[in-house]
Amino acid sequence: MSLEVSDLDVHYGRTRALRRVSLSVAPGQTLGVIGETGSGKSTLARAVVGLVRPSAGRITVDGEEVTRYRARQWRALRRRGVVQYVFQDPLRSLDPDVTVEDSIVEPLLIQGRPRREAADRARRLAARVHLDEELLSRLPGELSGGQRQRVTVARALVTDPRVVILDEPVSALDAANRVRALELLKQLRDAGTALVFISHDLGSVAGVADRIAVLYQGGIVEEGPARTVVNAPRHPYARLLVGSAPTLRSAAADRAQREELRELLQNIGGPA
Amino acid sequence: MIRRVLRLTTGRIAFGILAAIAFLAAFGPLLAPYDPLEGTTDILANPSGAHPLGTDYLGRDVLSRLLDGSRVSVLGAVQVALLALVVGVVPGILSVYFGRAFEWVTLRLADTLIALPFLVFAVAVTALLGNGIPQAMFVVGVMVSPLFYRVARAATLSVARSQYVEAAIVAGASVGWVVRRHVWVKVLPPIAVALANTTGVGFVVVSSLTFLGIGVQPPAPTWGGVLAADLGYLSFQPWAPLVPTALIMATVWACNLLADAIRDVTGEAGRALLNTRKLDPGKVTNGSPVAP
Repeated sequence: MSLEVSDLDVHYGRTRALRRVSLSVAPGQTLGVIGETGSGKSTLARAVVGLVRPSAGRITVDGEEVTRYRARQWRALRRRGVVQYVFQDPLRSLDPDVTVEDSIVEPLLIQGRPRREAADRARRLAARVHLDEELLSRLPGELSGGQRQRVTVARALVTDPRVVILDEPVSALDAANRVRALELLKQLRDAGTALVFISHDLGSVAGVADRIAVLYQGGIVEEGPARTVVNAPRHPYARLLVGSAPTLRSAAADRAQREELRELLQNIGGPA
Repeated sequence: MIRRVLRLTTGRIAFGILAAIAFLAAFGPLLAPYDPLEGTTDILANPSGAHPLGTDYLGRDVLSRLLDGSRVSVLGAVQVALLALVVGVVPGILSVYFGRAFEWVTLRLADTLIALPFLVFAVAVTALLGNGIPQAMFVVGVMVSPLFYRVARAATLSVARSQYVEAAIVAGASVGWVVRRHVWVKVLPPIAVALANTTGVGFVVVSSLTFLGIGVQPPAPTWGGVLAADLGYLSFQPWAPLVPTALIMATVWACNLLADAIRDVTGEAGRALLNTRKLDPGKVTNGSPVAP
């Protein structure tokens, strides 16, 4: 398994942000994680890359148990470039004073690779994510939202990672670029990279994910093959999500049905 | 960065003035037409061919005193600013990264220095280390360092939790890398402003210490010292303080201009400003076409 999480708990102070979350992603597999704002999606991602310390549970990345890793061990693991994280907000995750090229190759420079090799790699990656080569010398503030997002994706791919976590990777892209981005993700998957695709929008995940996990109030309420979750969701929240997805025509529930499901959700409350 | 500063008009003016002052500091003592310490009977003379800026209350040539004093004045102010920079900025940045204990200790030290009466501290240090210019500079440098500490710490704090720093950390960056690559550029502009201010304050403080007999000893001239002496004879030569004042003001003003120019070319806005000037307007919005 490229990534394995079992019984993961994360607390922020006394708030429990994640409750006994378990999931696993095999090489070349794509896991979609969907859930609304505040459901713990980003916390899950941050815990996996070591930005948040779990209060219980186990995390295994590329065969290494990282749950109790200290700062130095994390740094060594990260420098190997096995796991990369594409942040939700491309503008804020790029240093406004660093050129696009330097941002893309930063992981390589941190590893101590020579500049020339890094610059070479930046040009090839720019082509791969459909970014004009001349944009490489620009600052992030001089790029459009979609271009910035492609920069952050390029940065994540620069080390040939085994696991890539994408936090809302297509939300800032227009339709044409979204298709390209999803195409790129498919290529990655074929190359054996494990992807965790986080989104609030079932529609953008359904097409690329092999499996889908539905996160609700910090816990996974439904997990299974993408087709099953989309076509035959069991948990009321998953049914509500599917019913609200405007892109899945056949599955769209009518208003009465959605209200019924919301009521049901309120009655059963969050995950145990 | 210097090249980018020079592309701005303000940057060029600042560099011009500072270069002239550096020239004075380097060669001023050699250019002095008279011995700056030798008195004559011609006291409090008005400007004339022989004494372009007149003479002071002991009949010493004011032009010679100002030229001769420029080295001590400028070097003194620069030393003060640089010492404050090292003593303040380094712990200011590190206080964010070196853990709670270091943070607490440096914060309390900064508070203590702010609370300490300046003159008492100066007298205590000269009593401990002996009277002299380096000791005086040390006192002033340490006393103004909390300003640098606070400015550096505030700028670092605003960057430390940003997402791009997190992105660097996820890529395996060490604290050193984060500071060099991301923090330093954000800390530099406010520090440059503080540095320019401190250089100005340095002039004034060094001369007020001179007044107390700490640091530069009385017969030796400094800009601040000349100014202090001139003030005592205001009723005889009301114009006299204007000359040293103009020198001090020009230096402080040039430092402030330089600080502004640095702020303009670092920061994102400044870079964009320079870049759009360089590019032709038609190319500013290129890149891949946006879908309709």
